[in-house]
Amino acid sequence: MGLREDLERFREVGEERREDLESFIRYGDLSGSNSDEIEIPIKVVDLPEFKYDQLDRGGVGQGQGGTPDVGQPVGQPQPQPGDGDGDGDEDGEPGEEGGEHGYYEMDPEEFAEELDEELGLDLEPKGKEVIEEIEGDFTDVTRTGPNSTLDFERLFKQGLKRKLATDFDEEFVREAMRVAGETPESVYRWCRAENILVSLPWIESEWDKIPDDERGRWDSFGEMTDNVERSTAVQRIRRRGLREIPFRRDDERYRHPEIEEKKQKNVVVVNIRDVSGSMRETKRELVERTFTPLDWYLQGKYDNAEFVYIAHDADAWEVDREEFFGIRSGGGTRISSAYELAKQVLEEQYPWAEWNRYVFAAGDSENSSNDTTERVIPLMRDIPANRHAYVETQPGGTAINATHAEEVDRAFADDGDVVVASVGSPEDVTDAIYEILQPASAKAKAETS
Amino acid sequence: MTTRLRRFRRAAREEAERLEEPVREAAALARKLGLDPYPVNYWVVDYDEMNQLIAYGGFQRRYPHWRWGMTYDRQQKQDQFGMGKAFEIVNNDDPSHAFLQESNTLADQKAVITHVEAHADFFRNNEWFSRFSGDNDLDAAAMLERHAETIQRYVDDSDIDREAVERFVDAVTCLEDTIDQHRPLSADPDTGRTQPEDLRERLDGMDLSAAVREAVFDDEWLDGLAEAEAAAADLDHPRSDVLGFLREHATVYDEEAGEAVEMESWQKDVLDLLRREAYYFAPQKMTKTMNEGWAAFWESLMMGEERFAGEDEFLTYADHQSRVLGSPGMNPYKLGKELWEYVENTTNRREVADKLLRVEGITWRNFHDAVDFERVQSLLEPPAAIDTVRSDTLDDLAALPEDDPRVDWEALDRALSDPDAVDIDRYPWKVLTYEGLAERHFSLLKPQYCGFLRRIRRSELEQLSRYMFDDEKYASVEEAIDDVDKTAGWNRMREVRRSHNDVTFVDAFLSPEFVEENHYFTYEYTRATGDFRVASTDHADVKKKLLLQFTNFGKPTIAVFDDNFENRGELLLGHRYNGIMLDIGEARDVLERIHELWGRPVNLMTIRKEFDEHEVEVARRRNREPEPTEAGVRIRYDGDSFDEFELEPELEERIQASDVDYDTKPEEWLS
Repeated sequence: MGLREDLERFREVGEERREDLESFIRYGDLSGSNSDEIEIPIKVVDLPEFKYDQLDRGGVGQGQGGTPDVGQPVGQPQPQPGDGDGDGDEDGEPGEEGGEHGYYEMDPEEFAEELDEELGLDLEPKGKEVIEEIEGDFTDVTRTGPNSTLDFERLFKQGLKRKLATDFDEEFVREAMRVAGETPESVYRWCRAENILVSLPWIESEWDKIPDDERGRWDSFGEMTDNVERSTAVQRIRRRGLREIPFRRDDERYRHPEIEEKKQKNVVVVNIRDVSGSMRETKRELVERTFTPLDWYLQGKYDNAEFVYIAHDADAWEVDREEFFGIRSGGGTRISSAYELAKQVLEEQYPWAEWNRYVFAAGDSENSSNDTTERVIPLMRDIPANRHAYVETQPGGTAINATHAEEVDRAFADDGDVVVASVGSPEDVTDAIYEILQPASAKAKAETS
Repeated sequence: MTTRLRRFRRAAREEAERLEEPVREAAALARKLGLDPYPVNYWVVDYDEMNQLIAYGGFQRRYPHWRWGMTYDRQQKQDQFGMGKAFEIVNNDDPSHAFLQESNTLADQKAVITHVEAHADFFRNNEWFSRFSGDNDLDAAAMLERHAETIQRYVDDSDIDREAVERFVDAVTCLEDTIDQHRPLSADPDTGRTQPEDLRERLDGMDLSAAVREAVFDDEWLDGLAEAEAAAADLDHPRSDVLGFLREHATVYDEEAGEAVEMESWQKDVLDLLRREAYYFAPQKMTKTMNEGWAAFWESLMMGEERFAGEDEFLTYADHQSRVLGSPGMNPYKLGKELWEYVENTTNRREVADKLLRVEGITWRNFHDAVDFERVQSLLEPPAAIDTVRSDTLDDLAALPEDDPRVDWEALDRALSDPDAVDIDRYPWKVLTYEGLAERHFSLLKPQYCGFLRRIRRSELEQLSRYMFDDEKYASVEEAIDDVDKTAGWNRMREVRRSHNDVTFVDAFLSPEFVEENHYFTYEYTRATGDFRVASTDHADVKKKLLLQFTNFGKPTIAVFDDNFENRGELLLGHRYNGIMLDIGEARDVLERIHELWGRPVNLMTIRKEFDEHEVEVARRRNREPEPTEAGVRIRYDGDSFDEFELEPELEERIQASDVDYDTKPEEWLS
């Protein structure tokens, strides 16, 4: 039957015209993919047609169990008439037109292989190969496995750590919003001075929930602190219980027995991003466009890669992967805060003797004065790593006060392990990835030639 | 392999035998209910054959193209992972062909058969469908098979590059919805252009001296004139049948020569065939909601109320139906069915109110007080003999007056003289006529609609009585109700089914109650928070958004505005902007393909909403929506790269439709 041939042809055509990796990294929609599965669009699937802009079109939905309120978010748009190809009278189950298609799915491993091929990379971490000889003990870990071998203790600890790292006393901050005459910005500044890890958007989103007549409850922050008791993280956890511990798939490790001698590559990747007020939409997008494929690549490359995600403005805090991509904040910039935190995390958990370390940072190269030379560069020298990289995302060239990248580049001009890359538009992303991941010797060559 | 096939074939044959009686009886019942379907040939197929048929849009043969393979692949996976199985597919043909999945339960099969009969009625009687064939015989399967053979021949032809055929089909397919679906295919294609005569040719014939010519009619002036005239001649009448226009006027781009060349005959042929298919399938896309609703309505009446599902099958059927109607989102089955019920109910109500208003002493002013609705309700009840028909109640029917139009006297005689010939307990409708069945199923008597009559609005009553002359025709309510035509609702439904399409159907019959009861709402994208949010629950807004999704297949309207743009032979397309922006990325991809069909540079005029990044950021912080600026752009593709130009104001005005607004965002968004 002719259909068999059509099917074969579809597979040929689909494979052949799959959007190549490079243009996907430059232009593709990276947001839909998660770390387990990468969706590369297949160009031919669904021929293009004149259609409405999906965001502009809007649509009609049906409330489940009641009419929803205006302003309520609706999640993913529901399938609409006109979405399907509609040829013929496709009876059967309705709604079958729905859902996304037209993607070629690859796992991070495949992605890493293809990127290696495409960029001519082959990243082999030098040294630090811990040789373990284990017999029959459930001590080795992988990211998947039967439930009975899940290392729950580790999962719990990691979750708890994340919790503590991002937790703050919400009630206390709300009281601060009741101080007379303050604005969200001033409350935010005050909180930061008090080492409360709250973000400006959170304050802004809560601001209007405070009734006006409670606004003047306190005359000053001082009066408020004297009268309101701050709760510690431990108290809060006691009160609210442990159900709120954020368990992440990323933290799941399964023990399995190793019988043979095995070379293990321990890799830790620290991703640092600047989320300060100057990081506007395009800059943020460029950071994500660089970090997302980098993240996939390393996830795919190493079985036991560990990832640490750090966001910073004038202060730094650790976040989890989902939050890292898409994070926004405000406030000033102090890049050294992130390196201080990175140093602390690496020293505590990932000793240089056992781990290959990659420290990648990205931002618009704007930093508070002298922070780079006085603090960041010494810190970078002080954190031993296989590779330090800074990615400058400055759309359309450099700004006058954006000197961080330049200063770092100058300071480490003859150090092959420190790389500075610049991304001005999506086209530069693949080159930047190449620069970041290239073997150390290649940099030296590139510099001399 | 052979044994497996034989086993399957035997299973199919057994299934076919089992279905013979339901098929025969469903067709008879459908006709009794006033439907007039094409004859239907039923086929029993296994799951794989079903997936193939779905991929081919309900036919057994289509032209070779990878797209079918893609649909097949998707369908197969869907089937495999249990994400939705197809029960049947029926095609629009005379006779229609319906394919039933072998593994369906008997209850499913019966439901599907009743559903199919209603579709076949719709295909035959809806005017949008009859436009395609006109007075000729519709022989769709044969037509598509001929197309398949022709294109296959080109693919196999060693003089034609297989890839070239495929690419050509791809390009044409991108435009399959840019036809003029409101005109029949057989009408003169509205693709001609009146080319103004170039003055140069006239001057050539006038034998003027070169000096005079150069002084008076210099080239610049002549070019300007020709341009202005060409523009004036062409721009006043955009053609929406882009495919037809290309068929008449297009050349193709020849990569080796690097220029436009005449289309080869195979290309013209393929373009013709594909355009014809686009016109053939267009009515199905234009009436999807009506057609599915129609089928669901009659299926439910036959299966449930007329008990075509046996007692033991009823639960399976109820489950089947709730799965089909219950799926969330904009479900054409549910939306369509409820709209049809609304047509039926409002017509019946109007009929009853009309009769009641003619009773002495009842006026539109005192209607709600003067009418005893419970009494009316009981007067509307059918007599027991019609309501309950069993083999042991036939004598009651026979006792009715001999000219009672509700009784099928011939069938009744047969049933009485030979009880074995007609299985009355199974098919009680056999001894009733259309009138009898309409009385049995009069919609206002159904428990879910018993308050419907009472809820009639004063304004409707007033309107009804405005031109009523004999408003004292009946002395009593009994007399009036006795005169009620119980077939009014169904008659009206058949009229609506004849002439409407989804756009007019939704526009005319979507009621506020319907929107409210089903908790419909519109949603829009908000840039302040970067997600979709509920924008309105007002029925007028919901209707507006729905109409947007039905109008022109839910796609933006694109028309040819000029085929000699700026006198350089460039194609100028225009997007008729209704406030909703094009997906510009996709539009560029389409332009690339149109370039292959046009051979010279192609232009698209559209209007783009632009957001200033800074303003978006500010809006975000203040939780309000940023205002876009609308900028007219002309996107030009020359076979190599894209250019963008600002659109001349007079052109921008020509593509703006300022009297429509599909935006349902509230004034105080998110505040």
